[in-house]
Amino acid sequence: MSRPTFRNEHFAALALAWTATGVAPAEEQAPTHWLERMNQALTTRNYDGTFSHWHGGHVEMLRIIHRVQDGTVSERLASLDGSGREFVRTGASLSCYLPDKRTVVVEQRPPEKSLVGFPAVTDQTASFYDIREIGRTRLNRRDTHIITVSPKDEYRYGYRLWIDDSTAMPLKTQLCDTHGHVIEQIVFASLTLPSRIPDSAFRTEVSTEGFQWLRNETPPPPAQAGGAMAWSAMRLPPGFKMTGRSAQTLPGSTDPVDHLVFTDGLASVSVFVEPQRAAKAGESPVAETAEVGSSSAFSTVVDGHKITAVGEVPPDTVRFIATQVKAHGK
Amino acid sequence: MNEELDSQLSAMFDDELAPEQCELLARRLSRDEQLKSRWGRYAVIGAAIRSERGVSLNPPLAGRVSAVILTEPALSGSAAAQGVRRAALRWWQPIAGAAMAAGVAAVSVLWLRAQGPLPGATLSAQRTAHTDAIAPGQGLSYVVPRAPAARAVLVPSTTLANYVVAHSMVSSPVARRNLLSAFMTSESANAASESITAAEEPHDVQANIP
Amino acid sequence: MSADASDLSLVHRVQRGDKGAFDALVLKYQHKLVKLVMRYVRNPAEAEDIAQEAFIKAYRALPQFRGDSAFYTWLYRIAINTAKNAVVSRDRSPIEYELDRSNEESYDMQSRMKDAETPEGLVLTDEIRSTVNAAIDALPEDLRTAIVLRELEGLSYEEIAAAMACPVGTVRSRIFRAREAIDRRLRQVFEGGLGRAEEIG
Repeated sequence: MSRPTFRNEHFAALALAWTATGVAPAEEQAPTHWLERMNQALTTRNYDGTFSHWHGGHVEMLRIIHRVQDGTVSERLASLDGSGREFVRTGASLSCYLPDKRTVVVEQRPPEKSLVGFPAVTDQTASFYDIREIGRTRLNRRDTHIITVSPKDEYRYGYRLWIDDSTAMPLKTQLCDTHGHVIEQIVFASLTLPSRIPDSAFRTEVSTEGFQWLRNETPPPPAQAGGAMAWSAMRLPPGFKMTGRSAQTLPGSTDPVDHLVFTDGLASVSVFVEPQRAAKAGESPVAETAEVGSSSAFSTVVDGHKITAVGEVPPDTVRFIATQVKAHGK
Repeated sequence: MNEELDSQLSAMFDDELAPEQCELLARRLSRDEQLKSRWGRYAVIGAAIRSERGVSLNPPLAGRVSAVILTEPALSGSAAAQGVRRAALRWWQPIAGAAMAAGVAAVSVLWLRAQGPLPGATLSAQRTAHTDAIAPGQGLSYVVPRAPAARAVLVPSTTLANYVVAHSMVSSPVARRNLLSAFMTSESANAASESITAAEEPHDVQANIP
Repeated sequence: MSADASDLSLVHRVQRGDKGAFDALVLKYQHKLVKLVMRYVRNPAEAEDIAQEAFIKAYRALPQFRGDSAFYTWLYRIAINTAKNAVVSRDRSPIEYELDRSNEESYDMQSRMKDAETPEGLVLTDEIRSTVNAAIDALPEDLRTAIVLRELEGLSYEEIAAAMACPVGTVRSRIFRAREAIDRRLRQVFEGGLGRAEEIG
């Protein structure tokens, strides 16, 4: 292994010195700053890359193309081997191409909805996570900062992030459980940040002949969602707060769905409340529990409504939140 | 070191130098990298004394601006004005890599080697007590992700796709990337057609990135 | 001295095609501009990006600069416009969600209270600051007074001469010698190991 540069040694010595004397306020915000910059990069930069996704002993290569142009986000995420699934987002339209199910799921969102808001790291967040920079390293000739986000309890997961010094892109990401074991890993194999990406880059390569298309209807006015009842959580895991709710219809259904969002500043959980309906022929109902990579889903039925919680948190957390959601009659 | 020159530089920095002397010094300042560095350090001294909180005392700004301007057409359009100083990219103290200036219309390419062995391939590696500690600056040991404890996963469906997509619009950028990626992989696709039963005993292996 | 002669001499060179002269202007005003932009964006890295954009806009608009105002005043206005545009174009709170206001406020305070610099900037910035402070502490009192009155209070040489009851020439000399003494130490921070240009890739 090549000798570290003077700069890395110097920084490492300083970092260790700070750690030894107790964390000075000046150090604590630096890692949060890197998280902010990373989020900025992921949501505002143009990039085109291939990465490996590891979970549950399974590795697969994917391609991501992301563009922000005139305030509109376009992105395309495609599996390069195996399933051939693709996710495409252009302006107000989100499409999931599922060749394995011979189905395309399309969600149209009104223009305002196509803008993504994501949780902000707050003072509160820092009390549930230990966020620190533990060092710097060269990841294939790129200078990166290693930021760790360690959860302080079992309700959430942690991260280890290798953030590129120059672009703030996360070149390698590990999702870890509370014991620090890696559950999911994403590593870029190639990455470019072009100033221009043509529209053609966002056209799917999946041939959809004979596919079933599931689209959503225009969302109902908010008053109708979830019936006349307002839904909220009675209790939440420490640090979680409800940060929003909206009404929408999901593709393939005309039922209005209440979408509640809970977050602790880093992890978020969505709760969907919809009228319970009989399963259609040939469609399996969503299981009581499910996993999508490291994310967990849990659903239960309350008062004739199906409550489904989905989030990048341990299974017990989504279960906890889902079972706490109750209606208040108006 | 020419003391008279440096003294003039100091005065010019404070806008306390006679105009005709400014003209001469400006010419030298533009071409002399040492002089320019000193001038830059005068600005840093001032900023340090004013202790401007939150502002980096050594931002990569100047170098990036210089890099961009080098690619711009010269303002006056005269042939002589095309004098691109080849060494100009070095006069500032580069902290971040000089390669990527925000706003430069260039494609930046990061080609990385495929990362790490596939977990299966590490079975033959020696099993050592693993530690999550990473010693900064001394190379990187990382824990090869281990397979999670076996659990029966019931069948997801296109309904799950709805939830995944809707949730991806509110989760943090890194989390959403994990989520969507996971949903796109064949692991999710395969899970749709069969149940996963007990897998092998998980283990942790330590690997070194060279 | 005519006011602004220093900046104008550099500006004129740039207008005649000397790009290197613009570097000197950037070096002189970059900290001030970033600090100004940070009134509009909390994120220092974003502020740096916006300041960078402002400098580039200024460069391109220089042919139109006639010297009606001081150069820095003109640059300042460009920076403010750039910052405002950046804030307006990137502000995208999802309006269908009722944002938790208290979270927003606490986040705002946190950023203002904390010195959110990048780890690298933090290392160098801290080192720079302590080097400069130590150097100033070591200065003879007359040099220290002169440089502090100049940099911290922004007094002109004439004003400092009046304050210190000495000729203007002495003020100029004291400030110069103070800078020299500080720069001797600062050069090591910039040039000694840490400052070496690094090959990336």
